[in-house]
Amino acid sequence: MTSRRAGWLLCLPAFAILAAAFVWPMLLLARMSLNQTSDTGVLIPALSVATYGRLAADPFTWQLTRDSLVMSAGTASIAVLLAYPMTLFLFRTQSRFRTLLAVAAIAPLLVSGTARVIGWLTILGDGGLVNALLGLLWLPRQHLFNNWTGVWIGLTESVMPYTVLTLLAGFGRLDQRLEEAAATLGAAPLHRFWLVTFPLTLPAVTAAWSLGFVLSVSAFITPHLMGGGRVFVLATEIYDAATQTLDWPAAAALSVYSLVLLLLIFIAQGAVSKRLAG
Amino acid sequence: MSYLVIDHLTRSYAGRPVVQDLSLSVERGTFLALLGPSGCGKTTTLRMIAGLDTPDGGEIRVDGRNITGVAPHKRRMGVVFQSYALFPHMSIGSNVAFGLRMHGLAGGERRRRMAEAIALVGLADHTDKRPRQLSGGQQQRVALARALAIRPDVLLLDEPLSALDAKLRKDLREEMRGILRRAGATTVFVTHDQAEALSIADVVAVMNQGRIEQIGAPEEIFERPSTPFVASFVGRSASFTGIVEDGAVRVEGGAVLHGNGLPASGPVRIVVRPHRIRVLAEGDGAQNALSGTIAALDYTGELVEIIVDTPTGRVPVNVATADAAWHRYGAGQTIRVGWDVADTLVFPA
Repeated sequence: MTSRRAGWLLCLPAFAILAAAFVWPMLLLARMSLNQTSDTGVLIPALSVATYGRLAADPFTWQLTRDSLVMSAGTASIAVLLAYPMTLFLFRTQSRFRTLLAVAAIAPLLVSGTARVIGWLTILGDGGLVNALLGLLWLPRQHLFNNWTGVWIGLTESVMPYTVLTLLAGFGRLDQRLEEAAATLGAAPLHRFWLVTFPLTLPAVTAAWSLGFVLSVSAFITPHLMGGGRVFVLATEIYDAATQTLDWPAAAALSVYSLVLLLLIFIAQGAVSKRLAG
Repeated sequence: MSYLVIDHLTRSYAGRPVVQDLSLSVERGTFLALLGPSGCGKTTTLRMIAGLDTPDGGEIRVDGRNITGVAPHKRRMGVVFQSYALFPHMSIGSNVAFGLRMHGLAGGERRRRMAEAIALVGLADHTDKRPRQLSGGQQQRVALARALAIRPDVLLLDEPLSALDAKLRKDLREEMRGILRRAGATTVFVTHDQAEALSIADVVAVMNQGRIEQIGAPEEIFERPSTPFVASFVGRSASFTGIVEDGAVRVEGGAVLHGNGLPASGPVRIVVRPHRIRVLAEGDGAQNALSGTIAALDYTGELVEIIVDTPTGRVPVNVATADAAWHRYGAGQTIRVGWDVADTLVFPA
């Protein structure tokens, strides 16, 4: 048996799981999206794109799309911005607490999404820590929960560990000697960073940003719980259509639409990072 | 007055001294090699001159200016790193122009100086390539051009040839010396390769355990090592210990050896270079002579090293292979070897 065929065979279990757990359900979903819903909410088996047409005609769909993309791009950007200096420090530090710090940075992954939201409630809620402090300083209280602000804060936090991990992996090719070389050639610290370190970490930055973006688009728990039912994005709308209004064709069509949207963004990102690497 | 002065420099890491009270001075345009085994502090010394490491004590002066506390980017030291540290995301041209850009040179002048530096190392055809498209030797020359382009006060080379294979290393060594002569740069070169240090440098400083053992011209270092460490680290040597008795040295095995400048009494170490030892023919004599049996012949091309086991110890003897006479010798043969008193190096043991 050639090693090539052996390689394919070794991939087979993974392919099988992917087919059973992802491709098959997606096909079912795609099929469901072609059914129709009567005005009274009864599922009518069909083969039509009427549901897509109905959604496309609804301005709310476009608002959802815009809000989802803005929220995801925004939280991914903030997460990368916050994670970058932290990860660079983690990557470089000689401290004996390095491992401990790295674990702390990705610790949010160990906590369930629901528990995290409840934690945020005690900090951001109307009677929470932040507002208590604001009260002590005679400053006006802020609504930081059950609105977009809460969702942005919560999503950024839940995405950050992934961006830290992605950046940390991508920093592997950073060589301290390069910055030293730049220094001896007369580059001040800021120049060293902008002209040497940052360009070399750009592939890691785009990878981390894309991952953060994808995770934010598909995030459901945080927008659902921290938005308090006042924040509408694609994921929450799919959930509502599937479980509240029981409009399964609409839920399915929105799912397919989200998937295609993500694929397009992925292709665009691939093209961009290819140019960066070139 | 000396151009580069290092004055009582000290550095330790976590309580372990790496550089201890190191002082030396280099004249303008001189090529100094810091030679020593790994861990002797030579690279740390170089990094402190570059400003990439901070001394715990002591001073570094260039042309009379104290630069000890000056940040590396304000020092004008050209550094060639062991790994070259070329910027992978920039072309060869941009790599070489980087320092010029940082020193505020604009447009035409920058391009002219860049082209000049690249031409100096003979890589004009590769200006637009990326570092990874070049061979190791070419990358080394780019690193040299990049460091020279800023016309540094001192050029610092950290084992710049160690990543190359032996043949290329020798070619590049000569080429590099030529380039640096033309550039007229004051150079400090760190190496653990004694042949490299002896062939390329005007002055060699041999370092051991954070200290300078000896500093001098290559020939002086090789022919008149001032400590047993220098004698054993630079070049091969035969080495015996013995006791001074009646103006001569009685060594192990009962033989008596003579040397200049012997102490009145006590233990001494005697060192002789293999190229100073000759094989004694029947009836031949020498001021110092030992007999033994041939343990092995080590053929290296131009020379064959005959390893002789004597009751006093192992003695390597170099014999030229230009004539085929060395074929007479074979393992197990009895042989007499000898050398002159003038070639006998004596150290307190």
